[in-house]
Amino acid sequence: MTESDHSHRTMSNNAQGYSSTNNLEDSLEDSLVILDKLVLPEVSRPWWERAHLAKISLFISSLYLFVVSITLMKDGARGVAPLVRGLFSVTNVGNCLGFGWLFAYTIMSGSPVAAASLTFFDAGLLDKLGAFAMITGSRLGAGFIVLFIGFIYVLRGRDRATSLSMGVISLTVTITTYLPGFFLGALILRAGWLDVVQLDSGALLRSIIDRLVAPITEPLVNLLPNWAVFLLGLGVILLSFKLFDKCLPQMSIKDSQLGWLSRLVYRPVVMFVLGALVTMISMSVSLSLSILVPLSARGFVRRENVIPYIMGANITTFIDTLLAAVLLNNQPAFTIVYVGMFSISIVSLAILFTVYPRYLRGVLGFVSWVTDTNRNLAIFMAAIFVVPIVLMLI
Amino acid sequence: MRILMTTDGSSRSESALRFCAQLASRAGEPLTILTVIEHTRDRPPPQADVILSDACNILGMQDVRTRVRIGRPADEILSEIEEGNYDLVILGKNRAHTWLALFFRGSTVVNVAKHAHIPVMVVRGHVCPILRVMLCDSGGGVTPILSRLTTQLPDLLKGDEEITILHVMSQISAGPGVRGQQLRAGAEELIETHTPEGELLKRDIKVIERPDANLVPKVLHGLVVDEILAEARSGDYDLVVIGAHRGKGWRRFLLDDLAHKIIAYVDRPVLIVR
Repeated sequence: MTESDHSHRTMSNNAQGYSSTNNLEDSLEDSLVILDKLVLPEVSRPWWERAHLAKISLFISSLYLFVVSITLMKDGARGVAPLVRGLFSVTNVGNCLGFGWLFAYTIMSGSPVAAASLTFFDAGLLDKLGAFAMITGSRLGAGFIVLFIGFIYVLRGRDRATSLSMGVISLTVTITTYLPGFFLGALILRAGWLDVVQLDSGALLRSIIDRLVAPITEPLVNLLPNWAVFLLGLGVILLSFKLFDKCLPQMSIKDSQLGWLSRLVYRPVVMFVLGALVTMISMSVSLSLSILVPLSARGFVRRENVIPYIMGANITTFIDTLLAAVLLNNQPAFTIVYVGMFSISIVSLAILFTVYPRYLRGVLGFVSWVTDTNRNLAIFMAAIFVVPIVLMLI
Repeated sequence: MRILMTTDGSSRSESALRFCAQLASRAGEPLTILTVIEHTRDRPPPQADVILSDACNILGMQDVRTRVRIGRPADEILSEIEEGNYDLVILGKNRAHTWLALFFRGSTVVNVAKHAHIPVMVVRGHVCPILRVMLCDSGGGVTPILSRLTTQLPDLLKGDEEITILHVMSQISAGPGVRGQQLRAGAEELIETHTPEGELLKRDIKVIERPDANLVPKVLHGLVVDEILAEARSGDYDLVVIGAHRGKGWRRFLLDDLAHKIIAYVDRPVLIVR
């Protein structure tokens, strides 16, 4: 039964009720019910009336907590230096890559790890290349999150291929673009080709931020040991991202738009830009992947269009790390993040404009191999854990 | 059915002319052959007469009208379509272009297929009598593709052809919680379970309600263009029918149309219906 059938029957029933009663009160009530069912044109309200105050408050709170967390992590970073250098022996670029990768697995998020790597750089714990490697590792680790959720569904008895496809695609695209991007970025950083691109928060903004966060951060820094301040900052940044996720509007696409939208999403460059824009707002690849679901009411997306979307999302997911670099007031830190975005953009666009059909078939072929048997899946899962551990040990 | 056949006089146009001959016999109206002379200095009009008389000889038909136009082939073919009130335009494989010309102007076939308001037939590869037809329905149009075909070209099919209605599902699960049985199901299962794809195929089948109609619904899973090309080859079809969109304004730049990819790679006659 369609929606219009349903409303028609409801109205008929109400009309019948009206004729069978002579009671004025009942008839008025029936009339009100009928009126309630009628769809009246929505009166346009100004934006300030339509805006949800609760969501705006959440957004401001999450932004404030983000600034607090960066300040805490910056102040506490020196305290964790012996831990990072001694216990985890993060001394070379490979170690940094593996450390960022495993750190993101541990806290199931990439952005806090990327922000942490900048605070380590700011504290002199990591050099430029080390910080860049740790940021790259954090994104590789973050790519695992979608796969992990799918893996839980498999353990619950859901179909392997259906549950894991999106996660394996996401991780494969991330690995195949970030690793070449890492080598390109390392080359750019060593040569200093983009060192002129620098941005800091400026004296005025720094002063305002200090006035806003100092009443909270200063007592904590004075009271707690440095390592505890860093861990507290890490906790606060996780909380700020959680709050930020909650203040995002529900993304849904009306059925009437599906016709042309389904064709729009066939064109790789359009999907690339769309992925970049959505992630710029949501700041999370896994969250921006969820907008693909409404494209089809049944939760399916097309093989042709998902990869460019992930590629675009993988670039602008750095936006919060870029903001962290600005808040740290560290110009070389900004350059590191900017070089990361630049090099991954170059690699992604090179793939899209040169070998995209082959790349698409290659990735999809690999995904179907991984999800084909439990043995293949086990090999893949083992590889994505063994590689960062080996990197940590070299 | 008023048919416009275009020829450039190349040996490649011969197979297109032979394919055209079998359609012209069903048309019931005189066939029009058009040749476009791109540069009057290089190829003077007498050469057009030679091209057209050769074409008439290959067709072996008496009741043929001929037309000569001067200018860019795609533009002139489109102008002829506008002026001539045709129902179908048939194009052979176009002249080899330099990559620079292809980049800036595009191929004649793709330009005509993109902008013509009538069905366009592109003839290439091995040409046979039409016995097996593959209709590719994306579900994008409001009207089923078979309905569009029988409405726009009622004389094209004799009725005894084997028609495969193909729908390619390129969908994958966007979220781990999605139940994926439909993502591997065949045509019959999709029809039985009343999925949108099943309903699409059922809608196509209903167009021809004759009990003796030889209609085969088929669903493949994979990349749309790859699956269509593979099926066209493995199924040894004599004609591939696809739908196409005529984009306007910003949509022309942003919306992708898979028709031109199929035209470029399929190795047998392709009919594009509107």
